[in-house]
Amino acid sequence: MEPRELTAANYRTDVWNDWCPGCGNFGIVAAMYQALAEMKTDPAETVVISGIGCSGKTAHFVNTTGVHTLHGRPLPFAQGIKLSNPSLNVLVNAGDGDLLGIGLGHFVALGRRNIDLVVMMHDNTVYALTKGQAAPTLHRGEKPKALNEPNIQDSVNPIALAVTSGYTFVARSYSSRINHLKETIKQAVRHKGSAFIDILQPCVTFDDIHTYDYYNKRVYELKTDDWNPTVNDENEAQEKIMQAIAKSFELDDKIPLGVFYENTLIPTFEERLGEKLPGYLDGPPSREEIERYGKTIVDGDKFGEIFSQFIVEY
Amino acid sequence: MGELRYILGGPQGGGLETTSEVLSWSFAKSGYGILSDREYFSNIKGRHSYVHATVSGAENPFHLSYPVDLVGAMDAETVFTHFQEIDRGGYLIYNKDEDNAKYGSILSMEPELKTRLNEFFKANGIGGTLGELSTYLSERRQINVVALSYSSLLRALQQEASVIAAQASRYVSSILIGSIASLVGLESSSLAFGLKKRFRSGEILKHNMIFSEIIARQLQAFSYKRPSLGKSSLSRGKMVVASGNDFVAMAKLMGGVRFQSYYPITPAADESFTLEKYEKVGGDRGSIVVFQTEDEIAAVTSAIGASLTGTRSASATSGPGFDLMTEGLGWAGINETPILVTYYQRGGPSTGQPTRGGQSDLLSSVFASHGEFPRIVLSSGDHSEAFWDTVDALNYAEMFQTPVIHLVDKFLANSIASIPLPDVSKIEVRRGNLVKNGGDGYQRFDFTSSISPRAFIGDERMWYTGDEHNENGHIDEDSENRIKMMTKRMDKMNLIEESIPEERRHALYGDKDPEIVLLGWGFVKGVAIKALEQLRNEGIKASYFHIRTFVPFPKKSVESIFEDVGPENVVDVECNYEGQAGILVRLNTGHELRKHVVKFTGRPIYLSELVEAIRRVLSGSSKEVLNLGA
Repeated sequence: MEPRELTAANYRTDVWNDWCPGCGNFGIVAAMYQALAEMKTDPAETVVISGIGCSGKTAHFVNTTGVHTLHGRPLPFAQGIKLSNPSLNVLVNAGDGDLLGIGLGHFVALGRRNIDLVVMMHDNTVYALTKGQAAPTLHRGEKPKALNEPNIQDSVNPIALAVTSGYTFVARSYSSRINHLKETIKQAVRHKGSAFIDILQPCVTFDDIHTYDYYNKRVYELKTDDWNPTVNDENEAQEKIMQAIAKSFELDDKIPLGVFYENTLIPTFEERLGEKLPGYLDGPPSREEIERYGKTIVDGDKFGEIFSQFIVEY
Repeated sequence: MGELRYILGGPQGGGLETTSEVLSWSFAKSGYGILSDREYFSNIKGRHSYVHATVSGAENPFHLSYPVDLVGAMDAETVFTHFQEIDRGGYLIYNKDEDNAKYGSILSMEPELKTRLNEFFKANGIGGTLGELSTYLSERRQINVVALSYSSLLRALQQEASVIAAQASRYVSSILIGSIASLVGLESSSLAFGLKKRFRSGEILKHNMIFSEIIARQLQAFSYKRPSLGKSSLSRGKMVVASGNDFVAMAKLMGGVRFQSYYPITPAADESFTLEKYEKVGGDRGSIVVFQTEDEIAAVTSAIGASLTGTRSASATSGPGFDLMTEGLGWAGINETPILVTYYQRGGPSTGQPTRGGQSDLLSSVFASHGEFPRIVLSSGDHSEAFWDTVDALNYAEMFQTPVIHLVDKFLANSIASIPLPDVSKIEVRRGNLVKNGGDGYQRFDFTSSISPRAFIGDERMWYTGDEHNENGHIDEDSENRIKMMTKRMDKMNLIEESIPEERRHALYGDKDPEIVLLGWGFVKGVAIKALEQLRNEGIKASYFHIRTFVPFPKKSVESIFEDVGPENVVDVECNYEGQAGILVRLNTGHELRKHVVKFTGRPIYLSELVEAIRRVLSGSSKEVLNLGA
């Protein structure tokens, strides 16, 4: 691509955005456009991957490559893309239903691998596009307006789950604090490893509990002078994990925003692969030559050599 | 004899798989063709498993049959399970130390077999011990009983090879290797070759070599006439001797697969394991990523993701895993993404018979996933087809930018076969309509052709979505766009019909002017072709119509078969209950199959039972249900 300065507006497609007026998602894409512009991201080397629902449409609104996948499955799609071409910049935008409901197994599995990608969870406590059913982030006893009765299932704690699953960058932000979110996205992109951002995002149509007003009154930013989420030494890891979990349960009157946990000492999956496959990082699967003039690159002699275990000469 | 058929049985985890490998390599080294099938329970240690093999000096066999010439038993359960399968004049190698063992007290034996044995022993006036059975077999069935004391043999091994007592029991399966090699007169250099291939070097190899000599000495005490395979008439050269799983893995590597994702499942996982052994083959210039995912949903969707970046990617699974993949398959369909799923068929439904074989997933593979999208479904009849079909499947996926499902029976997957070295210079890698840099206006789903120019993620900016979309890959629900996009995609089926010729879709074997045609697919091929020979000897002119692709379907060829011999003389031969290929014949041609030979016990179709079933069909039977095999 021609090196040219792209503005935030250049990262926006001309696809009409059909989210409800006032939807919290607008803040999320606005922060993304700014973050991508400030990081001078190459649109062809950046992939926004989404699941299903309102958040799923994000892939169409960002002027990079977009892959709008299946409900609950953006993470395995993203991992296939990233592992076959590790130079790509991969950002997953998915709902709380995608990640913590139907796709929870994938969410935990990604943490175990620490693949270098960013997971941005649109946390709005409801399944909005199907008219407001309870999402896994809705607390027991709460009754957003679409529910007939208060929710009788307990909620998942996304931050605690991410930290214990192995994510090495875990943060929370809020769609209405665009600058905070933008900076958090940039930090997550720069982080080497699986980064998770829990993004509080009001659903203005179906959630009359977790409104802008509700969050505005409660959120506060974790300040560096009395909060250090970073693991500087392997011996600190457990303590920092426990600290992050404890902080993640502060949810009632005051909701902390910021980085809960950060650990750069854990090797990424790509590094783990590179360790056992010497050609992986320089010649990843997508960049390897597999044909010459329409034929396989492995000739008969080489075949015999590679598979000598199976060959018997009579 | 020309052909040797044997069964080796013992407890799962007791070394039978190794025995099968060593003997396969050894016989091949002496110039014999081999097919060595493995039958086992879903169990790690203790349940009865067995190897069933055909060794031939005249061909690379792809059939198994009963009765067998020899049963080699590691334990009493094997003798009780298989003694009725030994031919008169055949051989039984067993452990006479267990002569007092009674079948009634074998815990791992299923109750139905005990009931059948009860009836047999009662009817023949035999007591329930192994010793009494041995006497019966020797005196009343003219079976050459090679009664060995395994404990004495193992003591001799301890003394001559200084193996410590605690480890000697590991060599029980080696008794079978040594006995067969000695009885058949296998060249000692060939046996050494087979052992070296398995054990490389070191103590275990040395012990096995010494043990085979001890066993050979011991067998000299038996004065029976030895079975003779005769000299091989196969042409000299290099052979590949491997399981179906291994053949598919080799083909994937050769065909350019660089990303394979999988979740462990029988009988598919061995393929990914083999591929992983070769992950470093590219040295510092490349690599194969074999990605073990958290489930089959992640397996198929990560493979699709890899495909979007231009990586040839595939997955391997079996029924329950394939079910989980179906939603992902549809995403690949609507997004025109090349993907290969190697589908190893086992007995269903549900968990079914997880370690047994079957052909009951045909309709599932043809119809799986909601909505309509183009697909290709291939099925392999033997190890060579499995290799070349994999190569083709990878090409088709990219040429037509659509999912390809490759069906492989468990019988094929888990059996070792010998085939001549494939000419790998014939392996084509056809990547279809690619574009390196489409420029700013690049549209992934460009309407100018059914097969839009495909750029890879990383080289160009583009959009994909599981929603119906416009040329840019953005969601679009306009009716006219829907018609154009659906038509563009579905038109690929016409292109597939035009591009894959009729002769690629099927193969015809046997008599050119048959009175009866067997119609089958998958691993039925080998036994069906062999059955034609026997039928010919009986004066019956028969041919075998082998279906190799179900989508596209060999419609014209099937129609001409029906016209040539008439619907009364086409016999459907399949390993499922419903006659699923027959259903597809009717769907594609309107012809109904009126004669069926089916088997759904999870065991392969054996030559003897197939020939017998065809005789019955010729005398008027319209349906034969086969049940041979322990």
